Amino acid sequence: MITVRGTDHKYLRMIPLVCCLPIMLIVFPYLIQGDTWFSGIGMTSAILKSLMEQDIKAFQIELLMSIFILPVILLILSFIVYFRPSKLTARCSVTAFVAYTLFTVILTFGFKKFFDGSGMLQESFMMKDLTIIYWLQIIIGFAGMIITMKSLKITPAYILLVIMSVIWLFPIFFIVLNSFRLEGSFYVGYLIPKKIGLDNYINILTDTSRFTYLNWFKNSMIVATFSCIGSTLVVISTAFAISRLRFRGRKTIMKFLMILGMFPSVMTMIAVYYVIKGMGLAQSLSALIIVNAGTSALGYLVAKGFFDTVPRSLDEAAYIDGATKVQVFFKIMLPIAKPILVYTMLTSFLGPWSDYIFATVILGDKRGKYTMPMGLFSMISRDNIDRYFTQFAAGAVMVSIPISTLFMCLQKYYVEGLSGSVKG
Amino acid sequence: MIMGFAQLVCGQIIKGLIYLSIEIGFIYYMITKGINNLIGLVTLGTQEQGMYYNEATQLYERIDGDNSMKLLLAGVVTLVVIAMFCITWYISFKSGKEVLIAKEQGQKINSFKEDFLSLFDKNAHKLFLLIPIGGLICFTVMPLIYMILIAFTNFDVNHQPPGKLFDWVGLRNFKILIASSDVLTDTFWPILGWTVVWAFFATFTNYFGGMLLAIMINIKSLKFKKLWRTVFVITISIPAFVSLMVIRAMLNPHGIINIGLINMGFITESLPFLTNPTWARASVIITNMWIGIPYTMLITTGILSNIPSEIYESARIDGASPVKIFTKITFPYIFFITTPYLILNFVNNFNNFNPIYLMTEGGPPTLDYFKGAGKTDLLVTWLFKLTRDSFDYCYASAIGIIVFIITASLSLMVYSRTKAYKDEEGMQI
Repeated sequence: MITVRGTDHKYLRMIPLVCCLPIMLIVFPYLIQGDTWFSGIGMTSAILKSLMEQDIKAFQIELLMSIFILPVILLILSFIVYFRPSKLTARCSVTAFVAYTLFTVILTFGFKKFFDGSGMLQESFMMKDLTIIYWLQIIIGFAGMIITMKSLKITPAYILLVIMSVIWLFPIFFIVLNSFRLEGSFYVGYLIPKKIGLDNYINILTDTSRFTYLNWFKNSMIVATFSCIGSTLVVISTAFAISRLRFRGRKTIMKFLMILGMFPSVMTMIAVYYVIKGMGLAQSLSALIIVNAGTSALGYLVAKGFFDTVPRSLDEAAYIDGATKVQVFFKIMLPIAKPILVYTMLTSFLGPWSDYIFATVILGDKRGKYTMPMGLFSMISRDNIDRYFTQFAAGAVMVSIPISTLFMCLQKYYVEGLSGSVKG
Repeated sequence: MIMGFAQLVCGQIIKGLIYLSIEIGFIYYMITKGINNLIGLVTLGTQEQGMYYNEATQLYERIDGDNSMKLLLAGVVTLVVIAMFCITWYISFKSGKEVLIAKEQGQKINSFKEDFLSLFDKNAHKLFLLIPIGGLICFTVMPLIYMILIAFTNFDVNHQPPGKLFDWVGLRNFKILIASSDVLTDTFWPILGWTVVWAFFATFTNYFGGMLLAIMINIKSLKFKKLWRTVFVITISIPAFVSLMVIRAMLNPHGIINIGLINMGFITESLPFLTNPTWARASVIITNMWIGIPYTMLITTGILSNIPSEIYESARIDGASPVKIFTKITFPYIFFITTPYLILNFVNNFNNFNPIYLMTEGGPPTLDYFKGAGKTDLLVTWLFKLTRDSFDYCYASAIGIIVFIITASLSLMVYSRTKAYKDEEGMQI
């Protein structure tokens, strides 16, 4: 065999073999089954059977015929690669295998849809005769992709990444499509909407008879913004004091904070409610803000970890120059601490923004004060989901866009803070 | 004994007056309210609300009884006030002593203005920590003491103030929860078991999934690295409550996944994703993977880029296979760095409220459990339900304390073992 530069010969040699498999999968069942054409176990028999039927539509026949196309191409390729192994032929076989796998997967999952009413579908056909061949085809498709890609020294990680991306993007895709769907009702049996329009967005923004979306948005915005300001001040000053200042009781305070942080926060919520009630702030947004900011000191560790890494000589130099500690904090530390400042602000904004449970405890049944998570959650309760699901989708999309944009812009800081917390 | 006396003698008039007024205020508070509150804390009320016969008017009259809950809360507040006073007293005592010594030795005595200014320099930690600690005392410590105390009372649905009184019962609640023939015991242990199973799977599926993803994206020959990373960052950037609600809707018996599978012919009836206990448990774990894997990916990516590339080079020269490189170099390295993170993550998952509550609300409910508790309930969601739906505060608090004991012992194990804690000063440059 001729050696080809830039390829992995071990895998290159396997390509002809793999390329033969798809056609075998069509031919073998026929050979094994012999004369029992119609009771065959494979796709072949299903195809031949359906060709005998009278009520099959033209496009279905074309689809069935096309099942042969890719295996035949692959068979031809297997000869070419065997006699003329080169980068080009290997690349061709990668493409052919990707197409083959895609085609098989689509056919497997869409078989029932494509062949509805052709008379060749039995009840729960997937569970019976065709299944094995389907899965074998998919497995061979993937094996072929991996081997051909490896022969070209392309990492097969692409395959897994594509599959994972599809899974991870599907819910997003789903909710966006639903938000544009004009046919109401949750229980529709299809993904792609039949009629598309902006009505859901307009309805949720303007129709305030039942759900006051803009009000939720306003409430959430108020709570998140002020909590963010308050928490950031608290967290940064705690972290600075504990990290950069040396005083008696420092270790005690650290231990105290650690122990406090270990109690489940759900446990204190109900008591916090009574404290808030005692202060005359029950069921108000300001209560949420005060409590969010007041308890935020527990999350000081990440910021402390950052301050710990700032060289001590920096503030010592400043002290020698006669700076006070407060001056050092404002003039030296804050400018340096920009990444951790952004991180703290981001997390303490997003936290209250997506907090559901605490808001429910404090705000209870006061509908006018609902925040975004509470409001949206009430839209998909059992009674409402059927009528309001598409509006919920529109609301979810609208609330996600600004938050996602914010997050994507500040992603760098977030990752820095996050990896800092791991090492700490 | 009189606070501020020493300061007054030595000429720190304002400081002395402040201390003096604090003491007077405290004594006034104790006489008018504090003592009653403390007594109330011990008795938790004696007068039950009800109809009593009034001799004078010859009628049954409704008399407002004592409210045990308010008494308890007031008692806790008083306790905190006393504790704060003790600290203030100690501080004033100490500063008084200092100022007396300073006077004897003829040193300069700080004026009030200088004391105030020292807050910005020598005593800056007091300034910086004032609000954080104050907030914590109000909104964490005080409620916490209150809830811990409630764990030792019989404040359940049958003893609801203001109608009924509740009283101290010692460790009874813990006994009922952990070892009794009561249905609460039959609920507690299975829920604890599921909580551990959940925390284990939620932690490790995310950990290994995220690591795998990060390693794949980090492969040298992989193109469009930024694109792949963005795909997964998008899913993080969507507020978790939105994605949880969306996935919940998708898993509905009439949701897109069931309908899709029926349309494709895989199944003929909807799968009970969130209504059958086993399916529901699997669903929440898988949904949690959807949410958590991108996070772990982000974290691990940072660590991966820190592994010195020379190690890889030499391994490759020695002819190590990619699998071997992963098991012998990459994984041990990441594992070593992230062990504390892993255990803390386990603790967090132990108390992970949102995925469970927003997906299943703890359901599907079962008759084997205490009222309202369901098969996917974690201890914390059950605790939440106990306080919100059935008002059995005493059991909720007892569960909270048990959770604290479990998580605290786990976390202590981490902290005592990690170098960062032992060598906290040494870590600083």
